[in-house]
Amino acid sequence: MEHAHTPTPPPLGEHLRSPRLRSAMLVQQEALYATREFLRGEGFIELLPPLVGPVTDPGGRGAKALDVDYYGQPYKLMTSAILYKQASLSGFPKLFYIAPNVRVEPPETAGTGRHLVEFHQIDVEMAGASRQDVQEIAAGLLARVVEHVWTAVPDVLRELGRSESEFDELRAGKFETCTHEEAVARLAALGHAQSPDAEIDWEAERILSLDAGCPFFVNDYPKGSRGFYDREDPARPGVLRNFDLIAHGGYGELVSGSEREADYATIVTRMRESGENPAKYAWYLELAREGLSPSAGFGMGLQRLVRFLTGLDALWQVSAYPKLPGVIAP
Amino acid sequence: MNATSLTAGGFPEEGVRARARRGAAEVFPPAGAYGTGLFGAGHGSGPATAATAAATVPDELDALRLVPPVFMPRRLEKLIELGREPGHGDVDLRTGVGGFASELPLYLSAFGSTRAGSGDLAVAAARQAGRLGIPMVVGENMVPVHGYRSVLLARVEAYTEAAAEGVGGVVVQQSTEDADSEVWNLLYSDPASRALRDSGRLGFELKIGQGAKPGLGGMTVVGAAEAERLAAACRFTLGEELGADGGRLRCATPGTFTEEIVRQQLRFMRNNFPLARTWVKFHPGRDIGAATGTAWAAGADAVTVDGAEGGTGWAPRVFLDGVGLPLAACLGLIDRPEGASLLASGRMWEGGRAVRALALGATAVGLGRAALLAVDEDPEHGLERLTEALALELRLLISALGQYRPSALSRADLWPPAAAADAGSTAVPVGPRR
Repeated sequence: MEHAHTPTPPPLGEHLRSPRLRSAMLVQQEALYATREFLRGEGFIELLPPLVGPVTDPGGRGAKALDVDYYGQPYKLMTSAILYKQASLSGFPKLFYIAPNVRVEPPETAGTGRHLVEFHQIDVEMAGASRQDVQEIAAGLLARVVEHVWTAVPDVLRELGRSESEFDELRAGKFETCTHEEAVARLAALGHAQSPDAEIDWEAERILSLDAGCPFFVNDYPKGSRGFYDREDPARPGVLRNFDLIAHGGYGELVSGSEREADYATIVTRMRESGENPAKYAWYLELAREGLSPSAGFGMGLQRLVRFLTGLDALWQVSAYPKLPGVIAP
Repeated sequence: MNATSLTAGGFPEEGVRARARRGAAEVFPPAGAYGTGLFGAGHGSGPATAATAAATVPDELDALRLVPPVFMPRRLEKLIELGREPGHGDVDLRTGVGGFASELPLYLSAFGSTRAGSGDLAVAAARQAGRLGIPMVVGENMVPVHGYRSVLLARVEAYTEAAAEGVGGVVVQQSTEDADSEVWNLLYSDPASRALRDSGRLGFELKIGQGAKPGLGGMTVVGAAEAERLAAACRFTLGEELGADGGRLRCATPGTFTEEIVRQQLRFMRNNFPLARTWVKFHPGRDIGAATGTAWAAGADAVTVDGAEGGTGWAPRVFLDGVGLPLAACLGLIDRPEGASLLASGRMWEGGRAVRALALGATAVGLGRAALLAVDEDPEHGLERLTEALALELRLLISALGQYRPSALSRADLWPPAAAADAGSTAVPVGPRR
C-alpha cells in the first residue's frame, strides 16, 4: 500500500510493458492455477459462462449493465453470471466459472482503487450447500491461493514489497466472523456513520479492513442491500443468509456470497421488492417453476484477489487492459 | 345509425347510445383530444353539463373555509422580531421540499410520456421551474418510449442551466417499464446530471400511482408505427380499444405493491443511490395512511399523494370522476411525522387551494395541468407569472391567518375543523390526526 504509483493508468502500451504489470500477471497466473487445482480437488467442475443474455444480475450502487442489440432484441452483457450458475446446478451440482463481467460503475468509483468496468470473478456454486459450507470453500480457496503463490513466486511478491508475515494468520487458517449489525456498531464506535439498512459503504469497508489482522466474514446483510437471489433467513425476516469476505490490511471486500432463493413465488416477490420487472427474467423464472436446486455460492473478485496478494494500490495495476469507471480507454 | 324514437327518461340514454356506436372506444375521451387535452375530475362519464360545471364547482378541499383568528400570538412574535407591524410581505415562503431547499412550497408535478407532457412545453416548464427555484419531477416511461437522450435529458439540462445554486432539485420517476430501461442507473452516473447529484439536488421517485387513474399504469395513444416499435421491444401492452381511427392504446403495467415491497424498494433506492433523494408517489388509495406511514418508516425523503382530482394526459373516463379518494380525504387519513415531507397534488393552481392543502398537513403542493397551461400560454414566462400570482396569494392568506411560514399552518385554520367532521356534522372528510 505504500508503493509510488500513478493514480490513473498510463497509455496502454506503456502499461503493458511495465515490469509491475508483468509481476502482477505472474501472480495472477499462479492464483488461477491454484484456484482451479483447489476447486477441482473439491469436486467442482469448471464451466465457461455466457457473455450476453436477455437479462443479467440487476446490479447495485449505481452500476449498470451494457445493452447489446441481439438480432433486434435488447440483450445485456453479463454483470454477473449468478443466474446461469443457479440454472446449471441441475446438471452440474458443484460448478465454477472464471467469469468475465462488465459493470458500468459510477465515475466516482474510479478513485477507490477497487473498481474496474471490466473484471473477472471466480464464481462458485454448490447445490444443497449452506452458507457455512461455502464459507469454508471460500476460506480454503483463499488460503490455498496464498500458500501457492508464496511457494511458486515468492521473489515476485517480495519485489512488490509484500512480506510473508502479513499472511501468517491467514495461512494458519484464521478467519473471523461478525454480523452486519455488529459491523455497523463497530463502525459507529470508530466514528463512521453506516446505515443499518444498506450495503457497507466503501469508506466503511476500508476502515474495517484496515482495522483487521486477518480476513473476516460479515454475515447477515439486511434485505434491501442485496439482490433478489440472496436467501432471506426464514427465522429472521429482513435478514439475508449471505456474507462478504473482507481482507485485512485495507484491501477490502474479496468475496460476496449467499445461500440462494430457490422457491419460485419467493423469487418473484423478491424481484418486486428490488424494483425489478419479473417479465424480464422469463427464462430464469421458467426454470424456477420447474424447480431450482437449493444452493449456496460466491464470487471472488480475481483482480481484487491479485491486488491483495501483490499489495498494489489499485485494480488497474493488476489488469492488463484496465477500464476505470468513467474513463474512456481501449 | 338505426336510431328509433325509443327514449328512456331518467336513464343515461346518450351514454348508452354512444357506446352502442363506438364500443370500447367510448370508455376513453375522444381520441382526437389526445395530445391537446388535459383530463381530470369532471371529464368522466357523467352528463356533459357536470363536466362543464366541475371546472367551477368546488370540491371537498375547496369547500373548506380559511378562517383567520382574531387573536394572533404569532403575529406578536413577528412584530417583536421586526420591531414594526408585520405585513404579508414578511411571510417567508422558503421551505424544505423532500430534502431540497425550495423558494416556495411548490414543486412541478410529473408529466409522463403522453404527448401533452413530453414535448417542448415540458422543457419550457423545466426551465422556468429552475429559475423559480422549486423542485421538478420528471414522469415515468420517458426512456422506454422516447429513449434516454431525449426530452428527459433536455428537461434535466434546461432545469440545471436555469437553476440558481443551492435551491431546487430534479426528481426522476421510475416505474416497472422504466426499471427495464435502468432509468435511475443511467441518470445516477451520467455526467449530465452529476452536478445536480453531487450538490444533493437529484432525487428518484418510486411511482406507485397517480390520482387520475388509481390502480392503473400509464396510458397513451400511439400511432401504427410507434405501436409496432413498442410491440417489437415487448415494452408495453398495446390494445385495439380505441377503434379503427383512434390509434392504439398503449398501457404500462401499474406494478404490484405490498407493504414489504414498498419498504424494500425504498431501501434498495437508498442503498443503490446514496446521494439521491428518495421520493414516493401514491395514488389516492383507501389505505393511503398505511402506505405513507410505510414509506416514511423506510426512509422516504418525500411522500407525494395525488388526489383523485389529479390531472392526466389520458385515462379512461370512468376513473376520472369515480375512482380514488378526494385529496381532502387523503390528507385527513395521513399522519405525517414531525419533519417529514408530504407533497400534495390535484387541481392546484391558486393560493387558496394550496393553503388549504398546507393546513391539512401538506409540506408543498404540485403544479401539473396548471404548469402546462401556463407554459402553453407563454413558453418563456407563463409559469413564472402564474407562480408569482400564486405566491402573492399564499403570502396574503398565510399572513391573514396570523402566520409567517407555510409550515405553521394547521387544521385550526380551516372551517369546519377536524372535530366537526368526526362528529358527523359535516360531509367534509377530514379525519382524525395525531
